[in-house]
Amino acid sequence: MFTIAFKGIRQYFKDRTAVLLSLLLPIVLITLFALMYGGIGKKEKSHPISLLFTDQDNTELSKEVFNTLNDKDGMQLFPKSYEEASDLIKKGKNTAVLVLYKGFQDSVEAGNKAPMELFYDEAKEIEMGLLQQALWSNLFGITMKKGIKGKVNTWIKEKNPDLADAELLDIQAQVEEQFTDFDNSDDSKELEEKSNLPMTAIVSEEKNGNLGLVQAIAGTAIMMLLFSVSGSGASLLKEKEDGTFRRLLVSPISPSSILYGKMLSTLFMAVLQLTVMFLYSWLALGLDIFINLPALLLMILSAAIACTSFGIFMATICKSRKQVESLSTLIILVISALGGSMMPLVFMPEIMHKLAVVSVNYWAIEGFFDVFWRQLPLSEIYPKMLVLLGIGIVLTSISVISFKRNLLKLV
Amino acid sequence: MLIAKNLSKSFKEVNALNNISLAVQEGELYGLLGPNGAGKTTTISILSSLLKPDSGEILYQGKSLYQNLTKSKKMIGVVPQEIALYEDLTALENLKFWGTLYGIKGKELQSKTEELLDFLGLSDRKNHKIKTYSGGMKRRINIAAALLHDPKIVFMDEPTVGIDPQSRNLIFEVIQELHSRGLTMIYTTHYMEEAERLCDRIGIIDEGKIIAEGSLEELKKSSKINEEIHVRFTNVQKTDLSNINNHFNGQLLIHENQMVLSTSLANTDLPILIQMCTKANLHLENLQVKSLSLESIFLELTGKSLRD
Repeated sequence: MFTIAFKGIRQYFKDRTAVLLSLLLPIVLITLFALMYGGIGKKEKSHPISLLFTDQDNTELSKEVFNTLNDKDGMQLFPKSYEEASDLIKKGKNTAVLVLYKGFQDSVEAGNKAPMELFYDEAKEIEMGLLQQALWSNLFGITMKKGIKGKVNTWIKEKNPDLADAELLDIQAQVEEQFTDFDNSDDSKELEEKSNLPMTAIVSEEKNGNLGLVQAIAGTAIMMLLFSVSGSGASLLKEKEDGTFRRLLVSPISPSSILYGKMLSTLFMAVLQLTVMFLYSWLALGLDIFINLPALLLMILSAAIACTSFGIFMATICKSRKQVESLSTLIILVISALGGSMMPLVFMPEIMHKLAVVSVNYWAIEGFFDVFWRQLPLSEIYPKMLVLLGIGIVLTSISVISFKRNLLKLV
Repeated sequence: MLIAKNLSKSFKEVNALNNISLAVQEGELYGLLGPNGAGKTTTISILSSLLKPDSGEILYQGKSLYQNLTKSKKMIGVVPQEIALYEDLTALENLKFWGTLYGIKGKELQSKTEELLDFLGLSDRKNHKIKTYSGGMKRRINIAAALLHDPKIVFMDEPTVGIDPQSRNLIFEVIQELHSRGLTMIYTTHYMEEAERLCDRIGIIDEGKIIAEGSLEELKKSSKINEEIHVRFTNVQKTDLSNINNHFNGQLLIHENQMVLSTSLANTDLPILIQMCTKANLHLENLQVKSLSLESIFLELTGKSLRD
C-alpha cells in the first residue's frame, strides 16, 4: 500500500508544471476572490468616494457646502462645469455630479426648497448607495440648519419689524446655539422635505437599455472567446504532435506564414463567434446592436484581435497541448475575474478597478459598455480599441519571437 | 542528383550525425538501413531542409540546398513517418491543401489529385474523411501528399510502420512503380527485407555514421560471412566423403547424416556439391541454402541486431 502511495507521490512530483499549476491555481483564485469580496486590505484606509461638484450659485453657502463635503474623510470633491461633469459621467469616468443652482443660498436662507440636483450613472449602483449616505449625513446638516435659521429670522423680522440690527443678531446667535443639536421636530420634517435632493440619471436603463444584459453579453462573450481561441491556438501544438507541422515546414512556405495563417484562421473564428453572440443577443435577448453598428463592428474586430493574439501567445510559450489547456484555464479564469467577466467591476473594491486594466476582458467589456450603455460616439470609444489592438500587437510580437526560438523543439 | 558531404548534427550532448556523406544518382532508390535511433530521420530531416546541419554541405543537381531554399523545397517530397494528414478533412481536401502549398492551382491541382488517387486505388474513397481510413489507406494518402508537386526526389521515412502485410505489399508495389517511372527516392527502414526488396543501393547507418554502403551484392561480397548450404542424407555414415571434403578444402562440416558447406559462392558451389554427392551414392533427404542477409551483415558490422 505504501509502495503504491509512494510511487503516486513520486509521479506527481515528476510533472513539475502540473505541481505548480495544482498549487498555484487555488492560491491565485483564493487571492483573487478575497480581493473581489474585499477580504484583503480591510485595515487599509477606505478609498474616498469621488463626487463632481458644479457650483452655479457661487455664494458663501455654496462654498461652505463644497468645503464641508470635501473635508469629510469618505468624500473627495472635484469642481467642474455641468457640461464637463456630465461628459465624464457619460464616459463612465465618474459616478455623479452635485449641482447647486443659482439662488441656492437665498432659497435655503428663506427656508424654501434648495435648488440642487444630483446627476448620476445608474450602472454604478454600489458607489451611488455610498454617495447618498455620505450626502444625507453631511449636505442636509448644512442646508437644514441654515433653513431653520432663515425661517426663524424671517418670522422674527415679520413679527418685530422695528427690531434693531444688534438685537436681531443676538437673537440669531441664540437661535443658532439652540439648533446645534437639531432634533426631529415638525419644522425639521417640513424642512427635510424642502431640502430633498432630486436625483436624475444621466446614464440609465430607461435611456440606455438593460445594464445587466450588456454586462452579461459582453462579459460572457469575451470569456468564452478566450477559451475558444486558446483551443485554436493549441491546434498549433496538435500539428506538432500529429506530424503535419514537419510537413508544413518542408513545404515552400516560411515558418512565419504558418503562424500568421494559424492566427488568421483563429481571428476569423473569433470574429464569427462574437458576431453570432451579438446577433443572438439581438434576436433572442433584445439587445439593440444597431445603436452604433460601425463602433460595434470595430469593437468586435479589436476584441477578436486581442483574444486571438492571446491564444497564439499561449500556444507558442507552451510545450504541449496539455500545458496550453491547463495554463490557459488558469489565466483566463484570473483575467476574467479581474476584468469583470464574472462579476461587474462596480461591485468590486477600488483595488480591483486598478488591477483590471491588465485584463483583455476589462478593455473589451468597457468598449462594449461604451457602445451599448454609455452610447458614446466612435471618437470616444476608439482609445479602448487602440488598447486592445496594442495588446494584440505586443502578444503577437512575443509569439513570433517565441515561435522562431522554439521552432527546433516543434520539429 | 543529391550529394551530401560531411554532415554532422548534435542535439545538446547527443551526437546524432557524425560526418555522414552520401551520393544518390538520378532514378536511384537508395535505402538507409539502421536500427531505431541510428540517425535515419535526422539525415532525412537535414536533407529535406527541416533541420540545418552543424556542418557539411548538401547539393541538389550541383546547387546548394540553401542557395534558393524555396526552389529546392519544390524539388523535394517528404513522406514522414507519421500520418501527417488532417484527420477531419477528406483525402481530396488534404491533397488539395498540400498541393496548394506548392503553388499548384485550379485544373492542374484537380487533375493531379485525381490522377494520384487513381494511381493509389483510392478514387472511390476520395470524399471520405481520413479518420475513416484504415492504416494502409492513410499511408497511401501520406505518400500521395508528397508526390503532388512532381518532386525530383522523394524521401520516405519508414512509410510502412504499423501496417498489416497486405497493405505493406500494396505500398511496396506503389514504390516499385514510382521507381520504374524514374523517380529518385531515399527510403529509410529498419526492416532488412524492405531494403533488400526495394533498394538499388543501401547505406547501413548506426550511431550517426554510415558504416557500409553499396548494392546488396556488393555488401554481400564485402562481408566476411559466408552463405551456407545445408544438406541432409539418408546414408552418409556408410559412404566415403574424402573426395568431397578435399574439393571444398575445409569448408565442409559433416556431422552424422548432415553436412554444411560454408561458401561465398553458393550459386557456383551448389551444383558441384550435388553432382559430387550423386557420384558418391548419397541419397539427399533435404537441401537448404541459407543466403547471406542484411541482418547478418549488420550484425557483423555493428555487433548488434537491427531491432536492438
